[in-house]
Amino acid sequence: MWKYEKRLQYPIHIKKKDLRFAKVLITQYGGSNGELAAALRYLNQRYTMPDNRGKALLTDIGTEELAHIEMISTMLYQLMKDATPQEIKAAGLDPHYAEHKNALYPADANGVPFTVTYFATTGDPLADLSEDMAAEQKARAVYENLIDLATDPDVIGPLLWLRQREVVHFNRFKELYDAYKREGK
Amino acid sequence: MNDYNKMNHVMPNFFDFQEIYPQAQMPKTPQMNQVEKKKEEVGSPKEGYTLGNLFVNTYVPYKNYMPQKLVAQNEQEALFLKMSELAFAAHELNLFLDVHPDDQAKLKLFNQYRQEANQAREKYENQYGPISIQANVLENSPFLWEQLPFPWEGGKR
Repeated sequence: MWKYEKRLQYPIHIKKKDLRFAKVLITQYGGSNGELAAALRYLNQRYTMPDNRGKALLTDIGTEELAHIEMISTMLYQLMKDATPQEIKAAGLDPHYAEHKNALYPADANGVPFTVTYFATTGDPLADLSEDMAAEQKARAVYENLIDLATDPDVIGPLLWLRQREVVHFNRFKELYDAYKREGK
Repeated sequence: MNDYNKMNHVMPNFFDFQEIYPQAQMPKTPQMNQVEKKKEEVGSPKEGYTLGNLFVNTYVPYKNYMPQKLVAQNEQEALFLKMSELAFAAHELNLFLDVHPDDQAKLKLFNQYRQEANQAREKYENQYGPISIQANVLENSPFLWEQLPFPWEGGKR
């Protein structure tokens, strides 16, 4: 089971509305390399890991990804807060408004809704951990693309921090992958 | 014993070696121990939290961007920041110990930060309201869990 802590893993306080940026940032919520896909990927793969190192690591990183969904969602909420239908239309978000008003909905930067086909589970620990390592690298690359597009320091700070978490998670997955490979798991 | 240890070459990549010789005993050359040790070195909770990486020698910057410097504006923010830093340090060691459960030095450090994080959270909760649904401060009425703002509302959190 899980327990909620009523705090963000890293603070977010965006003071400036920016609908154009919300439109692209949403991919880290509901895109193929986003935090929702990451959380579900790890929490789904963990059951068939060959030993407790894998079960523990996928549980704990999967749990952290839930906290990252909350951080990205917070950024989206603050970037879109109090936006009028006119402003939303001007930013090209009117299709989103038609379906969801100012609410959040997991989709990528092109508005394609989240789908569970964004991740795989083969039951083979080396194959699954390879996918996890690739997912961390792809998410890091997308964070870099987003940082290139961002202008507000209140946005860039948390994006740099989340990007670094991809680096750390990759390192832990790689250590486990190498251990399993060495041990013939 | 082969003469590998006498050879004075530097491994370009620690991990590539394991992939090429998966069954080989890893020769513990001084260089390799240093590489390993350096990767596992941890910074202070504040350093780690600022970077988003407690294993400071594995920090990978992006272009010339500097990490955001978090500065508390008042006592509440200072205590909140301290709690966040300690909880982050404990979490980083948790992930590390998942893969390296026999590392006693890291286990000791994990327990130190875990206890300090718990103490900081309890202190924060007693003064400013609940973070956890298990907080003692929830004895007060009305129900503080519901009364205080949610983290996405910004402001203090």
